[in-house]
Amino acid sequence: MTEFILTLASVFIAAGVLLLVANHLRFPAVPFYILAGLAIGRLIEQDELIILALFGIAFLVFVFGSRIDLGDITSVLRHGEAAAFIQLIIVAPIAFAVGYALGDIFAFEDPFRNALYFSAAATLSSTLVGAKVLEEGIRKNLVYGRLAASIHFFDDVIAIGVLLVLSAEVLTDTQLVTSKIGFGVLFILAGLLVSRHGYPLLIRAAGGGDELVLMGSISLLMAFLAAAEYVGISIVIGAFAAGIAVRSEGPASLGVRNGIESIKDFFAAIFFVTVGALVAVPSIEVVILAVALVLLVVVLNPFIHTMAFIFEGYDGRTGFLAGSSLNQVSELALVIAIQAWLLETIAPTLFDAIILAAAVTMILSAIAGRYEQAVFESILAPFLSERTGYIDRNSQVDEELSDHVVIIGYGRHGRRIVQQLEELKVPYAVIENDPTIRVDLESDCANFVFGDAIASYPLERARVANARMVISTVEHRPVSEMILSTDSEARIILRASNSREAEKLLDEGADFVSVASLLAADQLVEHIKYVINDETELDSLAAQHLDYLQMVELSDLEQHQHYRV
Amino acid sequence: MVELALAADFAIIIIAATAIGLIARQLGQPTIVAYIITGVILGPVLLDVVTVEGLVDHMAELGLGFLLFLLGLKMRLEDIREILAPISNIAIGQTVLQTALAFLVALLLGFGTVEILVIALATVFGATPVIVKLLTDKDEVTSLPGKIDIGVLIIQDIYLVIILALFAADDLGDPGQIATTLVVIFTMMGFILLFSLVSSRYILPELFRRIADNKDVFLIVAIAWAFLFIAVAETFELSVEVGAFLAGISLAQLPYSKELEDRITPITDFFILIFFASIGLRIDSAGALFAFWQEALIASVVLMIGNFWIMYYLIDREGFSVETSFLGSINMVQVSEFSLVVGALALTQGYIEEPVLGYLTLMALLTMTVSTYIITYNHAIYERVHPWFERFESDVHIEEVTDPYRNHAVAIGFDEITEPALPILKEGFDTVVVIDRRTDHIDALQEDGRYDAVFGDFRHSEVRKASGLKNAKFVLSSSVEVEVNEVLLSEVSDDAIVFVEAERIGDAYRLYDAGAAYVIMDTFLAAEQLCGYLDLLFTDVEAFDQLIETEIKKIRRRSRMVDHEQHPFIEHDVGLGEVGGRDD
Repeated sequence: MTEFILTLASVFIAAGVLLLVANHLRFPAVPFYILAGLAIGRLIEQDELIILALFGIAFLVFVFGSRIDLGDITSVLRHGEAAAFIQLIIVAPIAFAVGYALGDIFAFEDPFRNALYFSAAATLSSTLVGAKVLEEGIRKNLVYGRLAASIHFFDDVIAIGVLLVLSAEVLTDTQLVTSKIGFGVLFILAGLLVSRHGYPLLIRAAGGGDELVLMGSISLLMAFLAAAEYVGISIVIGAFAAGIAVRSEGPASLGVRNGIESIKDFFAAIFFVTVGALVAVPSIEVVILAVALVLLVVVLNPFIHTMAFIFEGYDGRTGFLAGSSLNQVSELALVIAIQAWLLETIAPTLFDAIILAAAVTMILSAIAGRYEQAVFESILAPFLSERTGYIDRNSQVDEELSDHVVIIGYGRHGRRIVQQLEELKVPYAVIENDPTIRVDLESDCANFVFGDAIASYPLERARVANARMVISTVEHRPVSEMILSTDSEARIILRASNSREAEKLLDEGADFVSVASLLAADQLVEHIKYVINDETELDSLAAQHLDYLQMVELSDLEQHQHYRV
Repeated sequence: MVELALAADFAIIIIAATAIGLIARQLGQPTIVAYIITGVILGPVLLDVVTVEGLVDHMAELGLGFLLFLLGLKMRLEDIREILAPISNIAIGQTVLQTALAFLVALLLGFGTVEILVIALATVFGATPVIVKLLTDKDEVTSLPGKIDIGVLIIQDIYLVIILALFAADDLGDPGQIATTLVVIFTMMGFILLFSLVSSRYILPELFRRIADNKDVFLIVAIAWAFLFIAVAETFELSVEVGAFLAGISLAQLPYSKELEDRITPITDFFILIFFASIGLRIDSAGALFAFWQEALIASVVLMIGNFWIMYYLIDREGFSVETSFLGSINMVQVSEFSLVVGALALTQGYIEEPVLGYLTLMALLTMTVSTYIITYNHAIYERVHPWFERFESDVHIEEVTDPYRNHAVAIGFDEITEPALPILKEGFDTVVVIDRRTDHIDALQEDGRYDAVFGDFRHSEVRKASGLKNAKFVLSSSVEVEVNEVLLSEVSDDAIVFVEAERIGDAYRLYDAGAAYVIMDTFLAAEQLCGYLDLLFTDVEAFDQLIETEIKKIRRRSRMVDHEQHPFIEHDVGLGEVGGRDD
């Protein structure tokens, strides 16, 4: 048997052991892969691993490409997560300057190019780690989770572009650079073409066999990689275009997507461990570069992001929570670094520094994620929350309003309740903090406050003290706590995701807590009994529900033209 | 990137194999044959554009390792315990009789003495990768004939390790050295087996209970476990396959292995393609391959027929039914690619000449190709010939003691929505299988004991299979992921009643279109409830107070009943580039 198998064995055993540690401490996996690499770097022969690591990159980007929803790109651009642009415009040049200065001091061969690498590492943030840190926010569909996720997405797309441009050996050669960009565009167009006309053909030819569709997808990847190699652009672009080519939804391709995911996980582990293994014993230069990078990423990035979000109209808390989860080096920055390493255009010290900084920031980010709420409360809340002027300017509440209902959240729930209150002719005020639905608030609601209900001012502004009732449609504990702590005679109705949480809130003073899953369970039990007793009733059950849905949908459409179901 | 040029061979193989595989699929042929043909076409025999060196060789080796790991993952000891004794009898008898047959055939065909010995030793094996791959694809690995075959193959693998060790020894003439080698091999194997079984009882359950909730950690740690065994096996100079297989067995005993199977399968598919292609690639030239083509043809026919009857006799003698004996034997008629390994080793040691290796290769290729079709159509063949085989019906029977689910209820996700429905389902359908992705929920269900629990993400086909989804009469899904529910609806039988959950109206329409009996939408329920309350509050405050009082009692009662955490029950996979949708 071969040396190679033993090398792979050491990679996976080291990765496995450190993942156990990561899992125990509830940290994301990526930095621990890098640590595993650092640990075994001197024990293994890396030459053979590099190629598997490249497969890792290819599959990572392939999967990213295959999951892209073109609608997402337009929605990110339209909703303008303008913050992403602002951050890019501010942080990238600053990081570039710092990188250039340090490169100059350490006498890098090509300080300009190395400064670009430095800048990319400082500016972009990591989706893999970010998604883990943001888990709760994304799961509960909170505004900050959505915001940060879309910035991650934006950063990933930028990184792909950067990789394309930086695959040119000489950046001053405009013709070379434009030809790379031209090829990149061609590749993506080819990917789109295949996804529309070629891939469905493949699925049909495979006759329902998952294995052949899987191998066909991988063949497409290989073909795109080979083509990228042939025309001399980054293989990452090939992988990305191949990913776009195999985009498909529906039950038929679920098995294949699972399959690609597994293969990706296998190779990605090798990639991250190998990256760690490539780092030499850090010199003083490496440490200085790494520290500079860490500072930029951990301090400057979140600061600029937060400011940009606030500028865009998000409240301070949302801005801070979203901004502070963008404080890590992107895994695609590692790809940029390793591409440069292969092209031999990056200074070895900078390469080491980027990888170390990535590992450090990813771990710091996970730690910070646990304390950010507390940090916000104790330090930043006074500065960021109470921007009363801004809230006043964007709100509209009748000064005389009393005996009214305060509704928190203008999602589907909130809308339904507003509709009901209007029918009952009961006065109400809505509190909402998502700028993307501010237009709806302005057009639909008689009284509304544009602000975050976790802060006291928006509640005050909605005249909670005079209200008859407060209804929260948000299943987020801090919001519920804030409402319970207000000084008001109003009855309080909250929402919780399960009965245990609901009981806690009741104990803390809520008058009622709505638990959707309990209601669903009750209804479900009814329906199941009904169906078991008489199967013929099935059709009428579905028909009734469809009628109801149509009714809800119609009333939704009538009232809110722009509300997407 | 210069390094990637190294992968060119690899890319060519994958692309060519897929293309040929697609053609094969159109013609109704199995993919394995396509892969081997790919190797023959790309290798020295025809185009000579790809060599089995470096990366390709490594990948082929990994493929075999993963295949055996996967095979191990499917082996529940409790499933094979009762047939362990008959399997050992069959395997030993088969080895002896088949060696004798191969010896006889080679003798009659006029080979030299040492050559006959090598040929006889080399042609005993069944082709593990072919059989395992095909039976897995057909989902028959865990059927009774499948288990018999796998059991025999494993014993053959041990035998193979011994033969390889013997061939690799410098001097075959010294009985003392042979004995020492054998002792070392058996001790090491015994040691690893012991470790694998001990760990599956004492170390792994606790370890995997901690990590199984986290999908990525779960997969990588499992792979690390396999590599740990491979490294140990390697240190003791045992084969990669033995290590991987034993690692698989130790994980198979855990309740979490179903999902793992489904995650390892694609990685195996990926590498095993290279392995099968490499068989074709290893053939040096058309000349060497066809030097003894007549002999190979005759020997192939004789061995295939002979092997079938040997196996049939042995399995039947142990008291299995005609069908089991027939299927178990007909799956095993081929000569393994291991004969090439043994042959190659014998060649380097100077025991045989190149053309004899060609003879072995051709025989392996012929029998493997033919048997691929035989295994693919094994049931159809049995249907044709079984009246004739009825005459061999013996009195004693060991029958398959599987307990497939039928007309039962399946619940996906153990949470506040599904839990209250379970007792009603139990009443209506007797058996209720609950699928959940969290180890603590599975523990709770097992402790409760009323329902069967399957650990895993419903996205994985093995998990769906384990719940007997296809035979279910009622399915209840509390996953709000449309694609998961669509897969569910496309897999259940036509008369199954399916309740699914959805978050958006558009999704609900899609699910009704796909055949859902009812779509649960809890967000609307909550909104409707609140609206109803508002109505009351502004018309009849007392009624309102009464109403919420009963509701609050209900919440408190439920809260005391459930004692699980507040996390969602089916983890939502959040990955690269997914942007959370807008909702309330």
